[in-house]
Amino acid sequence: MHKGYLCLVLHGHLPFVRHPEHENFLEEDWLYEAITETYVPLISVFEGLCRDNIDFRITMTLSPTLISMLSDSLLQERYLKHINKLIELSQKEIERTKWQPEFKKLALMYFDRFSLARDTFLTYNRNLVMAFKKFQDLGKLEIITCGATHGFFPLMDVCRDSVRAQVQVASRHYESVFGRRPRGIWLPECGFCPGHDEILKEAGIRFFFTDSHGVLHGSPRPKYGVFAPVYCKGTGVACFGRDLESSKQVWSSIEGYPGDYNYREFYRDIGFDLEFDYIRDYIHPDGVRINTGIKYYRITGTGNNKEAYVPEWARDRAASHAGNFMFNRQKQVDYLYNLMKKKPMIISPYDAELFGHWWYEGPMWLDFLFRKVACDQDEIRMITPSEYLEENPRNQVITPSLSSWGYKGYSEMWLQGTNDWIYKHLHMASNRMSELANSHPRAGGLLLRALNQALRELLLAQSSDWAFILGTGTHTSYAVRRTKDHLLRFTKLYEEIKANAIDESWLADIEYKDNLFPGIDYKAHSGC
Amino acid sequence: MAMIKKLKEKFSKLIAKKDKFKVKPKENKLNKSAASYENSKKTIPGAQETAVANTKFSHPEGLRQGRAALEELPYGYDHDKIVLQVRDPRWIHAYWEIRNQTLDSLKASLRDDFHRARRVLRVYDVSNINFNGKNANSFFDIQINEFANSWYIDTNGPGRSWCVDLGLMLPDGRFITILRSNVVQTPLDGPSWITDEEWMIPDDMFARLYGMGFGLGKSSPVGKAWTERLRQEIFSSGVSSSPVRKALKERSFWMRVDCELIVYGATEADAKVTVQGQPVNLRPDGTFTLRYYLPDGKQVIPVKAVSADKLEERTITPTVTRETR
Repeated sequence: MHKGYLCLVLHGHLPFVRHPEHENFLEEDWLYEAITETYVPLISVFEGLCRDNIDFRITMTLSPTLISMLSDSLLQERYLKHINKLIELSQKEIERTKWQPEFKKLALMYFDRFSLARDTFLTYNRNLVMAFKKFQDLGKLEIITCGATHGFFPLMDVCRDSVRAQVQVASRHYESVFGRRPRGIWLPECGFCPGHDEILKEAGIRFFFTDSHGVLHGSPRPKYGVFAPVYCKGTGVACFGRDLESSKQVWSSIEGYPGDYNYREFYRDIGFDLEFDYIRDYIHPDGVRINTGIKYYRITGTGNNKEAYVPEWARDRAASHAGNFMFNRQKQVDYLYNLMKKKPMIISPYDAELFGHWWYEGPMWLDFLFRKVACDQDEIRMITPSEYLEENPRNQVITPSLSSWGYKGYSEMWLQGTNDWIYKHLHMASNRMSELANSHPRAGGLLLRALNQALRELLLAQSSDWAFILGTGTHTSYAVRRTKDHLLRFTKLYEEIKANAIDESWLADIEYKDNLFPGIDYKAHSGC
Repeated sequence: MAMIKKLKEKFSKLIAKKDKFKVKPKENKLNKSAASYENSKKTIPGAQETAVANTKFSHPEGLRQGRAALEELPYGYDHDKIVLQVRDPRWIHAYWEIRNQTLDSLKASLRDDFHRARRVLRVYDVSNINFNGKNANSFFDIQINEFANSWYIDTNGPGRSWCVDLGLMLPDGRFITILRSNVVQTPLDGPSWITDEEWMIPDDMFARLYGMGFGLGKSSPVGKAWTERLRQEIFSSGVSSSPVRKALKERSFWMRVDCELIVYGATEADAKVTVQGQPVNLRPDGTFTLRYYLPDGKQVIPVKAVSADKLEERTITPTVTRETR
């Protein structure tokens, strides 16, 4: 009989980056890399499990901006071009490494991997969202939503209409894609502020997640710590707290799995390593070297000396790390079960791009873990939050604490010397959007288009990704540009709407550039 | 405590790893691993998440010319406003804007006193009250200069409610409010002391659960040690009013040298060519180019061409030796 539950959560998100006005746009690579290195490998893992009749459960965020990009025909076209170039490069590499058998083997591995990415992409008719929907419909995967553009809610608390718009736009978008309302949400950056549960409740959302201290520092004290969900006082929306022990096992760079010396080294890529003339067709047309995704070395050790990657060794390590992770969860569950006299729920959330992009062997590790949990033991059961709540409807009522999973656990990552200048503009735009929405209860025609676009621009400006990049303090120019562009477009729309002088051709141009959320309704920002 | 020390070491390695890829892209550096893993000594919650999230955004920029120059955002919005936000259990942030008219009318009514007055942020503790301007639990003042338009305020008070007035402190001690902020509440920096009646929790059980929640297993220290640990981690950034993280500079000189070999040639466009026995595709004009990584040692490379009618053939065999010292 099982003694506890394990809930794996992968948070999949990228900010909306789509530039039809440029033929090549470097930052669009964020999406292409994520498709090749994370999303296709995850889909392959799920497909393999289904094929082999292995029962599994996983919870994933697909943020509305990520869904919008994955289903955008321009970006799909560009991805196909991108992956074809990579396949071509891997073919050249197979020849170039002829006298280097240990590298040639890897070149062949990349050729297979990129070919698989293209096949998978085409199998799902270029729209990978449909792959995830398939696993949700099979009951293996629970897809949850996120803020519409991943705005960091605690720093929008002074304009709750904007928090509401982020949640409303996201859940309607989810419904249009998956055919039902979302049951759960990943609050962007895991950022929770007491009171925002009311906004979730209005949207019909039943649960969300916080970092450990969000639950542990809640009031009154949570009886079972983070090992059982709590209901928010006043709303009854369930809050699941993250288990740090299982998180650290994966994250930490020493005892943490991804730092193993046999795993692939992230920082050695042929885009930087190879001679310029040879690689120039596969880097940015301006000649800026970038990661191609072809990496030949293993971590090897702490020094500069790197040795060739050996896939068989890495595979062995991934298998034993999966076994180790399961063993530790068994111990943890066993101990907690005796302490709590109740089945504990272990919540292990990770950034989806940890798997495959950063930790190359991550998807393989997940595959081993699912298979071992299904076949080798019966103490832990994998579960989704919705299933847990069905089976365990009675939970303690508390008010969780303000918290995030960012640097230092609160809002500092998005509120520091390098990015605090954005808030006076963002808050002003929020207030103006409420003013517009409230003063136009029934708009139509050109005015309706302008109001809807104003909300798109505001949401895009609010993406926490821009503040995050500004907060890291390096390579900030794109984030500055995006913040300003969307705010300026919003302000121009606001002024034109107020003056009843909407410039239609300009509006059409920004509708074409910032084309996400086709069904958006500006009234989502009206505060009721 | 040994456990905590161990954990801190783990974290510091991770942070060092993150610093590794803070490369200046303009220099087109090939290798980023500086191999210095002994940087930060602090244990910081969320540092790992930050490191991984950062790898999502590869940033090789540099050649950004040709893009339209940015229009700028306005300096202000011509309104009187002060907004308060929470940064963490201890620090709050205020930003504000005062219209010139507002200052002019103050100047007119206060005359000389206006210029002798000090500009002050008055921070009220308004926990559990309906604040009317006079009934604060307590307050403290921070003197600021007239050019400041935002401030990080150390409240030293987790789990409390705060309101801030921006005002003038006159020479005679009178305080004049110019702007009043919204009210914010800082979160607790430890477990709540409130345990609800229906779900009474035995303290020792909670302590063990709390310890496990932070990932240190059953033998973890609890109570005071925990609060202390959290306090050190989260507030160790000192008293700076503008806490910006700085990347540590490391010595990272390095060099790498490699060799590749280009073999090229030409023959009749319809001939069949093999290199080391493997067929090669010719360009339409009969030329061909092959490029190989060249390892140390001797490579014998027979290049053979056979005419389309298979009656003639030529073989040329370059031999190349690489010796790296």
